[in-house]
Parts: sequence; C-alpha cells; structure tokens
Amino acid sequence: MVAVLLLYPFGAFMVNGRKARQPNWLDRAVLAISSPLQRGLSIALDTAADGWRGYAALRGVRDENTTLQGENQQLRAKVNQLEEARAENERLKRMLGYVQNGPGSQIPARVVGVNPVATPLSLRIDRGESDGVHRGMPVVTPDGVVGHIHRVSGGYSDVVLITDPNSKIGVRSQRSRARATASGGGGNQTLHLENALRTEDLEEGDLIITSGTDGVYPPGLVVGRITTIQRKSYGMFQAAEIIPAVDIARIEEVLVVLNPTTRPAPPVVDGRTVSGGVR
Amino acid sequence: MKFLVTLLLSLLLLSIESVAVKYLGLTVSRIDVTVAIVAFLGLRASLLEGAFSSFSVGYLLDLMSGQPTGLYSFLAVFTFLICRLAGTLVDVRSGLSFALFATAADLGHSLLSVFFLWLTSREAAVTSLLSGLFLQLLLTGAAALCLFPLLNRIDRGRDQSEVGLLR
Repeated sequence: MVAVLLLYPFGAFMVNGRKARQPNWLDRAVLAISSPLQRGLSIALDTAADGWRGYAALRGVRDENTTLQGENQQLRAKVNQLEEARAENERLKRMLGYVQNGPGSQIPARVVGVNPVATPLSLRIDRGESDGVHRGMPVVTPDGVVGHIHRVSGGYSDVVLITDPNSKIGVRSQRSRARATASGGGGNQTLHLENALRTEDLEEGDLIITSGTDGVYPPGLVVGRITTIQRKSYGMFQAAEIIPAVDIARIEEVLVVLNPTTRPAPPVVDGRTVSGGVR
Repeated sequence: MKFLVTLLLSLLLLSIESVAVKYLGLTVSRIDVTVAIVAFLGLRASLLEGAFSSFSVGYLLDLMSGQPTGLYSFLAVFTFLICRLAGTLVDVRSGLSFALFATAADLGHSLLSVFFLWLTSREAAVTSLLSGLFLQLLLTGAAALCLFPLLNRIDRGRDQSEVGLLR
C-alpha cells in the first residue's frame, strides 16, 4: 500500500512531466472548499489590516481635548476613507477606461491568493468557468501584462505569471519594432529577452510590448522596460533583462481578456496604456 | 479521525499561507507548512496511517499549486518515509528540536522538488528557486515551532481516544 502511494504519483509525474491534468471531480470538490476559504481569509485580513491602521492612527491622540479629539478622529477616519475610496476609484476608473478601450471584452477579477509552492509562480483569482473564463486567456492590468489563465474551476482560476520560468511571450520593442521572446526569470522579478537577432536595434530603456505572435496575448500590451543588454562577441542573438511593468508582488485586481484576438490593445504612451475614459 | 483532522489542518494552513504570501509580497520563498506536518507524521504516526496522510497532504499541495502533476504527492510520502527513518536515529521532543527537524526535512524536500522540476523541464530557473531557499527554511522552521504544540495536542487526543477504546 505504501509502495503504491509512493510510486503511483511518481510514475504519473515521470510520464506526464510538467503537463498538468485537467481537474477531476475530486479536484473540483477540494477547490470548491479551498477557494472560498482563501477569499474569506483575504477579506478577513483586509478588514483586520484596516482595523489595525485605524487603531494605530488613534493611539497618538489619546490625551487631546475630548471634543477636538473626537472631531479629529472622525475627520481623520473620513479622510482615510476618502483617500482609500479615491485610490480605489482611480484604479477602477483606469480599469474601466482600459476595459472600454482595451483588447476585446474583459472582466475584472480580484486576487484571492498566491500559489503555496513557487513552481509555477501563479495567483488565484475569483473568476472562473461560470464567468466565461477559459484556459489560455491573457490576464492584464492597465499597467501591463500579468500572465495567462492556467487552470479554471467553478468560480476561480489560476493565473501563471509572466515571471514564471516556463512563461514565453512574443514581444517587440515599441521604438524599433525589433521582435524577440520574453521568458520568465523565476523569482527575481525580471524577464529575459531572448531570440533577438544581434542586428536588431535594442537600447536600454526601450519599452517592450507584446507582438501578438504567440497566439495568447493581443499585440500592443506593455510587458516592461529593458534594463541591461548583453551582446557577446559571438553568436546570432543578443540578450537583455526586462523589468516587468506590473508589480507582480502587489497585484490586487486584474482584468481577464475574454476574446483577446478581436482587437489590438490601446496605444501606449510614456510606458503606460492610454485609457481614453480617464485621461 | 486523525487523518481527517490532519487533512483539514493542512487545507486551512495552505489557504492561510497562500493569502499570507500575497500580503508579505514573497516571490519564490514559501512557508512549507505541509512539510512540517509530514515531518511530524514521520515522528509520530504509524507507517500506513502516516503514508496515507502524507499522500493526502501532498495531493492538496499539488492541487493548490495550480499544476497537479503528482510531484508533491510523491515527495510528501517520500519525505514521510525519510523522516520516519530519521526519527529512529534522533530524539525529537521539544519544539526547537522539531523546528530543526522540520527545517532539515524541508531542505531535502525543496532540493528534491527543484531537482525533479529541472529533470522534466531543463528551462526551469533552478538558481532563482534556490535563491529563495534560505528564507523559506527559516520561515518553515518558525512555522514548525508554532505548529508543534497544536500537532502535539492533536496527537495526544488521538492517543487518549485509542487508549479508551482498547480498555
């Protein structure tokens, strides 16, 4: 029995390699329990953090005049709420503008958790089959590309990030239109630019956008900026490092592009996607 | 009963971890709570019960990784067997010694996982995965230290109920 428990998964892994199977009924049942749990915990932590911030803000004014203190507290709380609401409003307006002008129809989603193992580097979002999300759909923010849908189950999906080592994106330089491939660099928060011919015109600081040639991402989405270029004295290709446009570690909301091939992404100006509804 | 409690605890801890990782902004470092549980099973559980519980815990990790391939189910059972063997050689009674034991188990588990991922996908960024290992070991050791009283309590509960049944 122990041998079966040991060898069955080992055999499955060696035979299938890193090709993940589609979720079966048991997987779906477990995900149906764990995903809402993650979402609940995420909301609970948000609430606790807000409460703590409120408590921390109130501690310093304990000895002040009671009336003024109360008024001050109320005003501070209101300012905090308004600041939070303004920041959220701006984020949502940018998203809305991006949705209106973006590539194909998109739906917003909230990040509810992060993969508990570092391979693949992925996030879980609160949109799934019931929302029309399917495997392979690109996931973006107004700042740029986040990744693509890897697994869908019920009302939740897993998104493999562009920084995952197995992620490959067809890209081009916005300035010179030079084509290349951007592959994930693992956990170091960078992407590697590969397959760019030595003769191509690439410079540090160049904005890298999707080329649309990989069949996943629509053309014109911001990927990041070139930081360093390595040109060896031999070989056909040059290499470069790209800093992603999206701060992968701090994403809270994303957009899932439902039909990515219908129209290109909105134009990019000064490293950011122009969303006509806002600017 | 203990199997179900272990499974539910793992599910809860994995869910907490996935949210905590998001808030802490960790990139490749994780808290291997499941390895701590498997290490504890290696010290206290019987062979069949421990292997089955470890397999289930590994399955959960596999499932929550977004890419169920069977790797983590295999590694959980393998780690359990190694811990069981190591448990006969070392005396692990205090929380600190358990934290060290779980850290060592996590080191083996992580290196094996990186090796197998490299074996099946030569493009996997081994260096980047290993770069987060030190922090991961520290976090896992700390988590094991925190979990030890809870796991002990669950284990003691199991023992008492079994004694009662026998009498």
